[in-house]
Amino acid sequence: MQRCPNCDAELESPLGCSACGRLLDPPAALSPFELLGLEAGFAIDARALEKRLRATMRVVHPDVYASAPVPVLEHAERNSARLNGAYEVLADPVERADWLVNWLGGPSESQQRAMPQAFLHEVLEWNEQLEEARSEAGSAPAGLSELQVRLREKRDQALANVERLLIPLPERGSPRLSEARSELNALRYLERALREIEELQLRRPVQHP
Amino acid sequence: MGYIELNVLNAPGSVPETLALGIDLGTTNSLAAIFKEGRPVVLHPEGRGGLVPSVIHFPPDGMPVVGREARDHAVADPRNVIFSVKRFMGRGLGDVQAELRSLPYRATQTERGLIQLEVHGRKYTPEQLSALILMRVHDLACQALGGQDVRKCVITVPAYFDDTQRQATRDAARLAGLEVLRIVNEPTAASLAYGLDQRDKGNVVVFDLGGGTFDVTVLAIEGGVFRVLATAGDTHLGGDDFDQLLAELARRELGPVHGSALLEDPGFQQAIRLSAEQCKIALSSDPEAELHVVIPAKRVSWRRRVTREEFESLCAPLVERTISACRQALSDAKLVPQRIDEVVLVGGATRMPCVRERVERFFGRKPHTELNPDEVVALGAAVQANILMGGRRDLLLMDVTPLSLGVETMGGAVSKVIQRNSTVPCEAHEGFTTYVDGQTGIDFHIVQGERELARDCRSLGRFQLKGIPPMPAGMARVAVKFHIDADGVLTVNAKELGTGTSAVVEIQPMHGLTDAEVETMLKQGFAHAKEDFEQRRVADLKVEIGTMVRATEKNLNAGRAGLDRESVLDLEQAMERAKQACTQENVKELQQARDEFERATLPLAALLMNNVAQKALMGKKLGDV
Repeated sequence: MQRCPNCDAELESPLGCSACGRLLDPPAALSPFELLGLEAGFAIDARALEKRLRATMRVVHPDVYASAPVPVLEHAERNSARLNGAYEVLADPVERADWLVNWLGGPSESQQRAMPQAFLHEVLEWNEQLEEARSEAGSAPAGLSELQVRLREKRDQALANVERLLIPLPERGSPRLSEARSELNALRYLERALREIEELQLRRPVQHP
Repeated sequence: MGYIELNVLNAPGSVPETLALGIDLGTTNSLAAIFKEGRPVVLHPEGRGGLVPSVIHFPPDGMPVVGREARDHAVADPRNVIFSVKRFMGRGLGDVQAELRSLPYRATQTERGLIQLEVHGRKYTPEQLSALILMRVHDLACQALGGQDVRKCVITVPAYFDDTQRQATRDAARLAGLEVLRIVNEPTAASLAYGLDQRDKGNVVVFDLGGGTFDVTVLAIEGGVFRVLATAGDTHLGGDDFDQLLAELARRELGPVHGSALLEDPGFQQAIRLSAEQCKIALSSDPEAELHVVIPAKRVSWRRRVTREEFESLCAPLVERTISACRQALSDAKLVPQRIDEVVLVGGATRMPCVRERVERFFGRKPHTELNPDEVVALGAAVQANILMGGRRDLLLMDVTPLSLGVETMGGAVSKVIQRNSTVPCEAHEGFTTYVDGQTGIDFHIVQGERELARDCRSLGRFQLKGIPPMPAGMARVAVKFHIDADGVLTVNAKELGTGTSAVVEIQPMHGLTDAEVETMLKQGFAHAKEDFEQRRVADLKVEIGTMVRATEKNLNAGRAGLDRESVLDLEQAMERAKQACTQENVKELQQARDEFERATLPLAALLMNNVAQKALMGKKLGDV
């Protein structure tokens, strides 16, 4: 546990000290886990994470420094932006896994793009179905809900695979990292399609590139 | 100055400046509140309500008038009465064509697309007009505070306001001489007013249908932290639009009888607007109401019964638009209606029974309506002002940015750098490089919105990076940092990483005022209109005198014994004259009375100064001093 350079109290977050209210300047290289004072790992307790977010935000949020001089206020802006960025990575399992795979030296999204032929065929098939739904006027067609159920199952399965591959954390260079990357790539496709279905159900126009 | 010394003397034992106003700058009404004795209260001078209609009347010669008095001129002098300025804030002429059709103003735009409304041949930006409203709200608030001049404030905006609209609001406050501590989203502010922190944990939805805008916000409250999960809305949907449905009905039925000349007459348009609004309000309590237009000068006398049922069937599509925004917000918050523990209604338009019923049906629970929906936002802003001034340390707001932020890529698509509903403050870093050998500048276009093509989103500005050292194509590494602050306002920084040179970012906003323009307006405001200045001076003098009166009354009793009778009499007379002067608008008399009063306070000030000095020295040995 690190200590505050100002008051020597134990630090819960390297972003600021809850005991004396001093804002700190942790190195840019610190991981999102370190910023929230958590052990790095795929398993995370969502309630505990939220609690850490709230506790740390009470130390770094600009509202706490509203009457402080401008440089302090800017410091609070920077630190709370870092905290929010770190929380966003940790709160979402796909983002969290993506960060861990990169951190452990696994292939990045741009390095390992290739997906199995069979999977790509499936993607084409959903896209056709989505295209149909989009061109139909009025409310979302019933077939869409079936697709949604199917894709959600697939997503849950892919997430379970990621969990199996990343718990316990693999060694650097382990082939499990490359397997996890494939699952994450599939998850990107699945989440995108699920988002589109949701938008269609909200009957909002979906634009296409 | 005597009164300043008196204030200094009050300092021992008294609290430092902790007051800040919460201001709801609304489309139809504006209002100020303040946190006093542990709770927020609406500020209104004795004998009048606090709501200031956001209406400005420009008489042919003389000072613009704001509020109820201005509203009363709407029918007689329609072209010179400005309504609904908020709808034009941070907007270009192209964005507001629909509004302009139903409002009788002449509007133009500058070469940069800044909208200006024309009155008596003079052009005003929405920022300047909003500043007039803010000044009036501030003056009334200070009167209600017994002449105390409080310039720090929290101003609310619709949650769905984009960057330019927020900046325009900040600029309006600057023009009004106010110091903005924070721009807060209206629904978030409302949640603070409801004291929902009393419950330890829960999910809350705030449904805010105001005069011109609609917002829905989903919050998770736990341990005093109000965390916004998602917000959705429509900056062009509000009570005004419901009025328009009735106005349209009148136009449809009157058109064939009186011809189009009447329909386009500004006086008629204002009369219809006001009558439609009255009818809508009546239909909230009665099953039937009258829509009427009577303009004797034009020989128009038209009346028609409207039943609530008929009105509600006209309203249904608009109400459904609010519900689809609720679905969107819930979906973004990853919640379903059953997971919502409380629903809060905000905004005058939520008085409509059909809105209440629809919201209750959608969420499956009775919404909170205990607080006056016209006041709740200002009350919440006052709570936030108190938090920011260091009052309530147990509460904290974490809000989000309502719209995604993106950069236009080759081919006109948008590459998102910050997703909508990201908690603010937030930051994103993007790398840019050069395409041509020796290129020293890069242009990029920043937009806000959810659409895939840049041209369908809201343009925030074209940014130019200059001063990149000449290098072969693709070698320059420019890191651009986008930061959205706690007010929801964007700043952009850039740095060339290879050489470490800080590239110069030149920001050319598409809409809204540049800093230089705000400065010019501030200067013009003082240099141009003498009346402007005089009226401001009158208000300032009254505030000054008010402060002096309070300080004197507070200290005179204690000081009376130490003063000679003549000084006391002199002071009492001067104070009486100053109070008298405050009932008039005469700048000369006010100035003289203030100066006289100040002179008369000097003996008391000197006495108190001595007392304080003695107290400070008490218990100390001579050698310590």
